[in-house]
Amino acid sequence: MRNADFREGVKAALPIVLGYLPVGMAFGVLARKAGLTTFEAGLMSLLVYAGASQFIAIEMISKGISWLPIVIATFFINLRHLLMSSTLSLYFQKNRFRTFSLLAAQLTDESFAVAMSNTSKVRNRPSYLFGLQMTSQLAWIAGSIGGALFGKLIDHREYGIPFALPSLFICLLVIQINKVRHLWVMVIAGISSIFFKWAFSGNWYILLTGLLASGIGIVIETKLIPSPWTGEVGTNRNNCRADTRNRGEGRG
Amino acid sequence: MGIVTFLPRFLPMAFLTRWVIPERVKMGLGYIPIAILSAIVFPILFFNEGAEVKIQPHYLLSAVPIFIFAWKVKSLWASVVLGMLIYWGLGFFLSQ
Repeated sequence: MRNADFREGVKAALPIVLGYLPVGMAFGVLARKAGLTTFEAGLMSLLVYAGASQFIAIEMISKGISWLPIVIATFFINLRHLLMSSTLSLYFQKNRFRTFSLLAAQLTDESFAVAMSNTSKVRNRPSYLFGLQMTSQLAWIAGSIGGALFGKLIDHREYGIPFALPSLFICLLVIQINKVRHLWVMVIAGISSIFFKWAFSGNWYILLTGLLASGIGIVIETKLIPSPWTGEVGTNRNNCRADTRNRGEGRG
Repeated sequence: MGIVTFLPRFLPMAFLTRWVIPERVKMGLGYIPIAILSAIVFPILFFNEGAEVKIQPHYLLSAVPIFIFAWKVKSLWASVVLGMLIYWGLGFFLSQ
């Protein structure tokens, strides 16, 4: 464990904390409504720690559905992390299984995307990722317990709470776009995700879009389209600048 | 739930780091963040809670300024705060 890396990771988690606290609270409120105790809601956020699956699980619990369908649904919802974990694996050399099991247990869409917004910080720095993910999960657990305890005081559909994580994802997506070909992949992924979600029930659309759009990315990058269409765009807007700006404003 | 959440997150990280990965696959994995994030963002704007195709004006109108803001400023936390404010503010107009 390297403390400087860890602290940097903690700081990088701030935007996730802003998103996780209110959404975690929404989860706590709904978990209580579904009949879970505050302890059970907190425990679920500690042991499962997967936003979409937890919301779907309490939905199923409130309908009286038994544990096996809930576990199967959870598995299929989280299969999309296969792709994220594969991507992250590129940034780590041979570490111990213990390290990976800790990092993997706390991998979420949000922490993955923040990690990918500046890959130079992640490469071979497990402590950075650990700080980022640990802080995020603490916010999620704190939000869940807070929501379960005081949920009656706030309406989880108020104060822009439903748009907290979408805003985070939009900014994370924009940060990834550095070249024209990235824009193409975004457009293709956007259209195909809508098609896949329309065509298949459940959460398959994320996995399918991931495979299709990254495959098309390979095709574009290796040959297909001439360089004026796929080259650099706004080179002054690269990740480094985004990050300096982030940290600068974070202190202010 | 904990175990089935853990496995897809753990297995690739544990084993792919021990194998040599072909360049093509690495190139493809480089596009995974964009692909996955697009797959998360766009359906939010075009599906209702019952997973039917239906334009979501409240989300769409909030998303456009955040796209522009994020493009110009690239600040994650500011995007989150501004996004919540815009969504909240729009709620007063759209509910009438």
